[in-house]
Amino acid sequence: MKKPGAGWRLACRFIPEGDITVFVPPESLTATQRLQLEGKAAETGADPVVVPVEIRPDYNRSGAGLPDDVLLRESLASAGIVVKKFQYPVLKELSGTLRQEEKVRLVVRQGDVTGVLHPGEALLGVAIDAGTTKLAGYLLDMETGEILARKAAMNPQIAYGEDVVNRIAHCAQHKDGRSRLRSVLLEKVNTMVQEMCGERGLSSGKIMEAVIVGNTVVHHLLCGFPVKQLGLSPYIPSVGEALDVAAAEFGLDISTGGRLYFPENIAGYIGGDHTAMLLATEQERSNGVVLALDIGTNTEVTLSAGGRTLSCACASGPAFEGAHIHYGMRASEGAIEGVMIGNGKVLISTIEDKPAVGLCGSGILDAVAELRKADIIDTRGCFVNSAAETVGEGMEKSFVLVPRNGSGSGRDITVCRRDINEIQLAKAAIRSGIDILLRKMDMKAEVLDRVIIAGAFGSYLNIKSAIRIGMLPRLTAEKFHQIGNAAGTGAMQMLLSSGKREAAGKIAKNIEFIELNSEPGFRDIFMQNMYI
Amino acid sequence: MSENKIELLNEAVATGEVDDTVRLTREALDSGIAAMDIIKEAIEPAMKDIGERFGNGEAFLPELILAGDAASGSMDLLIDKLVSEGGESVLKGTVVLGVMYGDHHDIGKNLVKALLSANGFKVLDLGINITAKQFIEDAKKANADIIACSALLTTSLPFQRELIELLGAMGIRENYYVIVGGGPVTAQWAQDIKADGYGFTGADCVNLCKKLVDSGEKPSKIETIVEGALT
Repeated sequence: MKKPGAGWRLACRFIPEGDITVFVPPESLTATQRLQLEGKAAETGADPVVVPVEIRPDYNRSGAGLPDDVLLRESLASAGIVVKKFQYPVLKELSGTLRQEEKVRLVVRQGDVTGVLHPGEALLGVAIDAGTTKLAGYLLDMETGEILARKAAMNPQIAYGEDVVNRIAHCAQHKDGRSRLRSVLLEKVNTMVQEMCGERGLSSGKIMEAVIVGNTVVHHLLCGFPVKQLGLSPYIPSVGEALDVAAAEFGLDISTGGRLYFPENIAGYIGGDHTAMLLATEQERSNGVVLALDIGTNTEVTLSAGGRTLSCACASGPAFEGAHIHYGMRASEGAIEGVMIGNGKVLISTIEDKPAVGLCGSGILDAVAELRKADIIDTRGCFVNSAAETVGEGMEKSFVLVPRNGSGSGRDITVCRRDINEIQLAKAAIRSGIDILLRKMDMKAEVLDRVIIAGAFGSYLNIKSAIRIGMLPRLTAEKFHQIGNAAGTGAMQMLLSSGKREAAGKIAKNIEFIELNSEPGFRDIFMQNMYI
Repeated sequence: MSENKIELLNEAVATGEVDDTVRLTREALDSGIAAMDIIKEAIEPAMKDIGERFGNGEAFLPELILAGDAASGSMDLLIDKLVSEGGESVLKGTVVLGVMYGDHHDIGKNLVKALLSANGFKVLDLGINITAKQFIEDAKKANADIIACSALLTTSLPFQRELIELLGAMGIRENYYVIVGGGPVTAQWAQDIKADGYGFTGADCVNLCKKLVDSGEKPSKIETIVEGALT
């Protein structure tokens, strides 16, 4: 910051000249963030991945000196259930449980017995959506499909890189980079699992199945796969197939016999989380011409029409998460989430209605749209001279949204030229992805029947503002469908149903991935889309 | 009359009209205006102006890029004319320019090309995703003074270091100035890898190149020159 005042400096621009002590105000850590957990409960189908089987062993046969596992197998066979294998961890618990009760609840997974529960004990599963920035966890009753608990957290990998490219670079620069990035995330996931169980007084040892979805880089880092090639054009994943691994071997703290599933990755920057989102929206995308976006630091865009599915990844960057914006912040209390400018007045709404301390993604988007609407900035995003009162010069030239006497921080909350530029870059990236996919299908935006928007930011963004600044095509309101955490929903569907896992695999296989940078004229389209 | 042509040309570059710029450049040359005068009075000031207005937030990225395209178009003609008249000595120096291996972001690189040529450098644009080896081979072929390497992806930074180390291993480090720039590139990084210079903006890169060719010092024998870094 060039202007001195009140001892405040921007942390991202401050370079210490010696040892310093960093004080982090506790409120900044505990203020809960508006992360995304709305994912819908999934329906159980006719093809569950894991089924509980209650069996009362035929003890009359035990007189024949049959070992417990053999007796169980025969009892199951007479009930019409053929078991292939008793998994090793189960065998350790089998006899103990059998001798406590007369009947036993076996957990059968695709023919193998992977766990044993007491009669009446819930069969639990967990689904995790591991985003670049945010993690969302869901604890499910695998028999009823009911969501028993939800948990949201920040991805601790952020400390090693705000975006996935920086995390890859961290691994290149540090010998222990990969192991550290894997362990901090795995630890966090295990903690989330414990916390969710704790909320319902359940034991994580009863979780028999887990599904984790994430973008390809996060997936590779969590699984311990090499990421170097993901950082180099043409960004090829090390692993693209679905994975089915033993949770114990992986390090996931659920039942010792539990299994962990990762769906297919589509491309270097489009991972299983997008596969999950496409699964969750499969029905909706099967009719007409449908655009589906998952907006985040990395925005994935998919266009479905006539049986074809085209996908691309847009480098939208963290501006919509509040990063790189002067007064940007994550979506927590006091963040301006909505802005209206008219008749010389500025109206704002903040999260939890607390006094404004900054702007979150939806707030800055609104601000830019409203500034344009009021002609305070022109179509290039530059302030129009004398259109309104601004302070500062050059890239720091700012419009005051909330004067200091009304803000929660005692400082003016402003939007500057640089901030507007960041939003222009972000929205141009997204719109260019949309334009290129449409061009590839020889279609114009007007023929879109539906635009599905997933992701946390997507749920809260103001569609009108997004259209006004040119991020989304101009269509009628009812064509837009903000669906919340579709990746989470897809993950839960895959948790419960093997049919859904197959369907996800087919979706991934059918996708035509488009590398935007290789498209002719991409640069010109991008520049055109920078205009507001 | 000639003033009018210069004015029109200046305007065409500033507004990013590529076709008009090329046409007006031809007309100006045909009408007898010296190539050097065209550069000094029309192209250079136009690029300087748009660069300043961009830095001020009064112009935005697409305008800067289009102006760069227009200037590039003009400079291709003008440099040819200059060299055909006075030989290569009229040029300040030869720069081999490219985007580092693994990276394909070339907007910045294209701007640098336009600015350098507008300021009298001969620029050999290698394009994107260039390995250290390729940089060196092309620098040799072109008898370059400067190897300019840009990167926008953090993951491509290590290859900049590799480029400098390779020159050393080949015993030719002192033959070429190596300069680096681009989003994640910092003055500190340039110093760490012992590059000869770092430029923050395209205009900084021009100043940097001028300083290096005028310095009379051998590459790697001077401290990294830092132009325009954030403080």
